[in-house]
Amino acid sequence: MLSTPSWRHRWLQFKRRIEPALFISPAFIVIALILVYPLAYSFWLSFHEWTLRGFRKCVPFVGLENYIELFKNPDFVSSLRITTTFVIVAVGIEFVLGMGLALLLHHDLRGRNFIRAMILLPMMCTNVVIGLTWRLLLNYEFGLVNYYLGVLGVEPLEWLSKPAMALPAVVLVDVWNTTSFVALLLLAGLQALPEEPFEAARIDGASAVQSFFFLTLPLLRQTILVVLLWRMIDTFRIFDVIYLLTAGGPARATETVSIYVYRYGFQSFNLGYASAASYIMIVIMLIIAGVLARSIGRLES
Amino acid sequence: MSRYRLMRIVKEILIYLAVIIAVILSIAPILYLFITSFKPAELTFSVPPVWNFRPTLQNYYDVFVGGKFTKYFMNSLIVASTTTIIAVVLGSFAGYGFARFPFRGNYALRLGSLLPQMLPPITIIVPLYVLFNSMKLIDTQWALIISYLTFSIPLSIWMATSFFADVPVELEESAMIDGCTRLGAFFRISVPITAPGLAATAILSFIYCWNEFLYAVILTGRDARTLPVTITSFMTNKAILWGRIAASGSLVLLPVLIFALVAQRYLVRGLSRGAVKG
Repeated sequence: MLSTPSWRHRWLQFKRRIEPALFISPAFIVIALILVYPLAYSFWLSFHEWTLRGFRKCVPFVGLENYIELFKNPDFVSSLRITTTFVIVAVGIEFVLGMGLALLLHHDLRGRNFIRAMILLPMMCTNVVIGLTWRLLLNYEFGLVNYYLGVLGVEPLEWLSKPAMALPAVVLVDVWNTTSFVALLLLAGLQALPEEPFEAARIDGASAVQSFFFLTLPLLRQTILVVLLWRMIDTFRIFDVIYLLTAGGPARATETVSIYVYRYGFQSFNLGYASAASYIMIVIMLIIAGVLARSIGRLES
Repeated sequence: MSRYRLMRIVKEILIYLAVIIAVILSIAPILYLFITSFKPAELTFSVPPVWNFRPTLQNYYDVFVGGKFTKYFMNSLIVASTTTIIAVVLGSFAGYGFARFPFRGNYALRLGSLLPQMLPPITIIVPLYVLFNSMKLIDTQWALIISYLTFSIPLSIWMATSFFADVPVELEESAMIDGCTRLGAFFRISVPITAPGLAATAILSFIYCWNEFLYAVILTGRDARTLPVTITSFMTNKAILWGRIAASGSLVLLPVLIFALVAQRYLVRGLSRGAVKG
């Protein structure tokens, strides 16, 4: 009889301890149910030879052969190089423009909500529509971009048909699509900065440029890092926009890793090989994510 | 003094000028698409571009009459809404859990929940295809709903956590002292307070599902096809039907843009919360 309250107490304590798990676990269980099998299966596939030809008989184990083949394949190596170039150039430009835009919007502007709403729009647009609209805009003969460049006295450019111009074209479209994301996150960061250091600097006679380089950038360091890494992960896996803009061409000039995997998985049905390439992508993504996790951690602590 | 004022006015003008240019560059391609969708076919490619023309609904007519656009519109709507409802319910519970209980490993787990969203879709689509094929789910709405949950649940957790973190703990504590259970406090206090934020979460999840292309193009065929795939079907082997692409593209963009404008403030706050301290 005497032990009843203590049992009750224990029960309450137990309930309190598992409460967080009860709230959090359903989401995790659903994600795990969906992802565990595909991830495990493609890991297994990456060590086997799975092609349409051999698909009825058996799926031979080939060890690391798929991985070795990949790094010997000049197309794959070139797709890695193209993706890296694309990520660095696109994210770099987006950062510079986004920072500029954020600084502009940080002023006390009239119609601020309207401006912010308009700038938000490109990042919400359907990628397929973006890719196709820009394909029309960048058309060599009748595209608006070349027409208005002509008005300004610039010779028409072969945006999508010349290998050397295609990657810049894809970068241009990605910059249009996602600079607003960078700008809006940096703006939120700017608005959260304390005002005192800036006032002190002004009193000490620092110029706007000086206070930007010696105060804003260092104070905003963590936000900048998070935004950059976030964008890198997104840019790294880009598919839709490029697929509709250039389909990886001309002459594979814009064939990123995603497009390469697509070609091997769904055009030549070489699934073992495609899975090995996928796992290389996953590893690269995990490395970027690891850095991201550490910087968010520092931001929160 | 007057020189100083002049400088200020010039600076002000330059700032507004730059902002106006940014706004124009942001919306010009979208406006161009809308305008093209009302252009008669013979003017689509005219150089120099013609802006003064009699608008026609021919392109829209072609889109609706030529194929099963209404059916695919419904597919998109059903897939995006179903995914969003499941994701926001699960994401709200998890987000509340993360925001309310500072247990050990909270932070690591929260970041871990983001991983599926970062996963390049191309890397799991091969095994998902094989899996759905053996379950006879290829070309069904369920194949898409299940795939979309992999990014919409993490997204919802991320957004919901930031909104629940803004609800003062004291409000719930006083209700719980008055005999409210934890679940009661969640539904009667936290959810109503964060309702606008959760609505923005739902809108963002809906937009992501509505826009998705890669899963849809691989996992569906004639039956469960969604709108982004339908747009690409106007690129035929013979010709690219730009008029129809512009019209269907406009129809796909319209709900997205309206949603984004309505939820603008909360969308930005929910997204940026994780990247900004405080």
